[in-house]
Amino acid sequence: MTCAPSPRLGLLLRRRAACLRNSFRSLSAYEWVRNAAFSAAGVGLLLGLYWGFHRMVAYLDGVELIGKLLIWKLTAMMLLTTFSMVAISGLLTSLTTLYYSYDLRFLMQAPVPIRAIFLDKSLESIFFSSWMIGLVLVPYIAALADVGGYGWGFYAAFFLLLGPFLALASSAGIAFTLVILYCFPSSRTRDAVYIIATFSLTLVYGLIRFAEPEKLIRPDALHVVADYLKFLRAPTAPYAPSWWLTKALSSVAAGNAAAFWRHAALLAGCAAFVYALLVLLAGRVYFVGYSGAQEGSLRRLEPPLGPLLEGRLAGLLGAGRDLATLFWRERKCFFRDVKHWSQILLILGLIFVYLYSVKRIPLDNQDVRSVISFLNVGVAGFVIAALGLRFTYPAISLEGRSWWVVGSAPVSLRTVMRQKYLFSAIPMLAVAFTLGLWTNRLLETDAFTSWLSLSTLLLMTGVIVAMGIGYGALFPMFNVENIHQIESSLGGFVYMASSLSYVGFTIMILSWPMQMHFKERFGKAAAWDWRIVGLCVLAVVALNALALVVPWTLGRRKLEAYEGS
Amino acid sequence: MIRISGLVKRFGGLEAVKKLDLHVPAGEIFGFLGPNGAGKTTTVKLLCGLLKPTEGSLSVAGFDVGSRTLEAKRSLGLVPDEPFVYPKLSGAEYLRFIGELYGVPLPEQRRRIPELLEMFELGRWGGELVESYSHGMRQKLVIAGVLLHQPKVLLLDEPMVGLDPKSARMAKEILLTLSKRGTTIFMCTHILEIAEKLCHRIGIMIAGSLVALGTLPELRAQASREGSDLEDVFLSLTGGTEYAALLKNL
Repeated sequence: MTCAPSPRLGLLLRRRAACLRNSFRSLSAYEWVRNAAFSAAGVGLLLGLYWGFHRMVAYLDGVELIGKLLIWKLTAMMLLTTFSMVAISGLLTSLTTLYYSYDLRFLMQAPVPIRAIFLDKSLESIFFSSWMIGLVLVPYIAALADVGGYGWGFYAAFFLLLGPFLALASSAGIAFTLVILYCFPSSRTRDAVYIIATFSLTLVYGLIRFAEPEKLIRPDALHVVADYLKFLRAPTAPYAPSWWLTKALSSVAAGNAAAFWRHAALLAGCAAFVYALLVLLAGRVYFVGYSGAQEGSLRRLEPPLGPLLEGRLAGLLGAGRDLATLFWRERKCFFRDVKHWSQILLILGLIFVYLYSVKRIPLDNQDVRSVISFLNVGVAGFVIAALGLRFTYPAISLEGRSWWVVGSAPVSLRTVMRQKYLFSAIPMLAVAFTLGLWTNRLLETDAFTSWLSLSTLLLMTGVIVAMGIGYGALFPMFNVENIHQIESSLGGFVYMASSLSYVGFTIMILSWPMQMHFKERFGKAAAWDWRIVGLCVLAVVALNALALVVPWTLGRRKLEAYEGS
Repeated sequence: MIRISGLVKRFGGLEAVKKLDLHVPAGEIFGFLGPNGAGKTTTVKLLCGLLKPTEGSLSVAGFDVGSRTLEAKRSLGLVPDEPFVYPKLSGAEYLRFIGELYGVPLPEQRRRIPELLEMFELGRWGGELVESYSHGMRQKLVIAGVLLHQPKVLLLDEPMVGLDPKSARMAKEILLTLSKRGTTIFMCTHILEIAEKLCHRIGIMIAGSLVALGTLPELRAQASREGSDLEDVFLSLTGGTEYAALLKNL
């Protein structure tokens, strides 16, 4: 018998590269074209962000005397937010990649050192938890460089430090998961970690909001100029790596090479140290956590042998038994999954911060408040689309490998999609109603704008949910390991781009009746042109029919012809 | 009960099932054998409507799977090769879900769900989430699920994998009982002993084509292997002896 050397990280990474290469090789011409089109749309989105950031940075740069201070304060805040988001994302992603990946059972029984497995899985966690958030930084940095005229050296410095920065943030999240699962190795711990992580994210989100970043452009929010300058000059979290990156970038912008290298070394050194410590620690603690996490949680549930709640409701509403049964199953599975509870916590935080922000808008003029209320439809539409990306779009794919149960059952795919729609639409409409109604109340909007904005928001929510289900069916992913892979997939991007375009077009169309309404308020005679109103109604009907029918029908057809495993 | 005519299934350039014609009457236990990748699971997926055929037609219990899909599915019970069921449902809830989907009356569900759980020694586990079940327990739960709605046709893809000896024996007896009652059983298996003991007829598929079909004596005659067991017949038809040279180097 010969004893082969243990495979190392290189081998594991080569198998990843082979998988990636094979995925590319197996793409059909249609898939190449489709991916190219969606990538182009992604670049378009980044260009849009660049345009927005550029305008903002240029505006701040134009502020006399303190323009640069403002810009670097904003940069520090942005990087701190990025760091926090990546750390929490790393925590959530590593729970799946390190403890619940499909291939772990194979890797763990193979003669692979535990540290090699950890390295492989932690690199995956770092990548998946940071790439999207990191990508959003690029247009901001590009805008910063262009407005400041910093040149290529600035870009080089940013890209040199971006890797260590994101790796350090994600490593912090991974370290937390590693330690907590070592101390409490059970699937219950996994649930607890999810809740803690989401609570932290909600807290970070709330803290960022309550830090009142609007002070940057509103000096009057602080009592005296000295306070304002103190606020601008003060480091934003001086011991956080985001501050080191800010200092490194501001140093290179100011041509101070020594300061740049000092901060760069601090950031890169800290990232290397933390990751090395993590790998060292993993050799001792990773397997204990992995082993414990494989145990299923035990709970004794009563056999459901009485009439189902959904069945009774369906009887009252005249809905089918199939729909009620599917709804019952979805409700049970949804509320037992702690990942969903944590997201609900996040949404509650989001609603609170949203309404707080609306309340803080310093407006005295009734007309401006009404305009803001109308524009709020767009912002709330964006929020609904974002929630849809998390809850609605993955609904079909989350059937996962149990898809065969429904696929082979005597239930039509129309019913499956309708049930998914209903399950998502009810809470989404409640969120939309809360946001719309309370915004109108807080802004004391006039009756016409209130009705128009609220009914538009509810209509948009219904359609966005249908788009989520439609696109989810059009791009089903039944074999994924976690929901983040569904959200960040090509289909998720298409859904998001389509729903945001839909929100944009709706606002554009409805801006006409809003204009006429304001003309009337300002006393203009015959402000209402009913031909334009009729045209708007037609345009709204056409847009909604298109947004509703196209993805829904294409999705249903795709699902009927689905041939995946 | 099952009628397959001119069935072709292509995945891109790969022809997984080639012009398959087959009729399995009511009450027959039909064994579907073949090496890995022969097209057996694809055929099962086509029969239960999880895949659409490229050409040809299938009917189950007199219903065309393509045009009267829901009626065909209502007559079917599927036990797939990988028994994935909703991890966040308990075993009893999964059975309830199946009972509702297949229109089993509530009083019957109340009676049969505890019975089936007990029968498969899952009574103690009925209130636990499926995520805490072993592979064999999930397999038993899925079998209990198809027995709950008493289909006219049972499609079984490797039903004995993961079952303990006692459960495997019980599963075999259940299949024989159901067959006597008129249920058609279409079973893919690699366990030739089971096929030999249970199946009335056996079909052997290789690379998408049905190369042999008949009772065990008929297959022996086709393979010119009188008096030999199914394993010898299977290997002589599928070609399985050319690894002798490889064994020497093992």
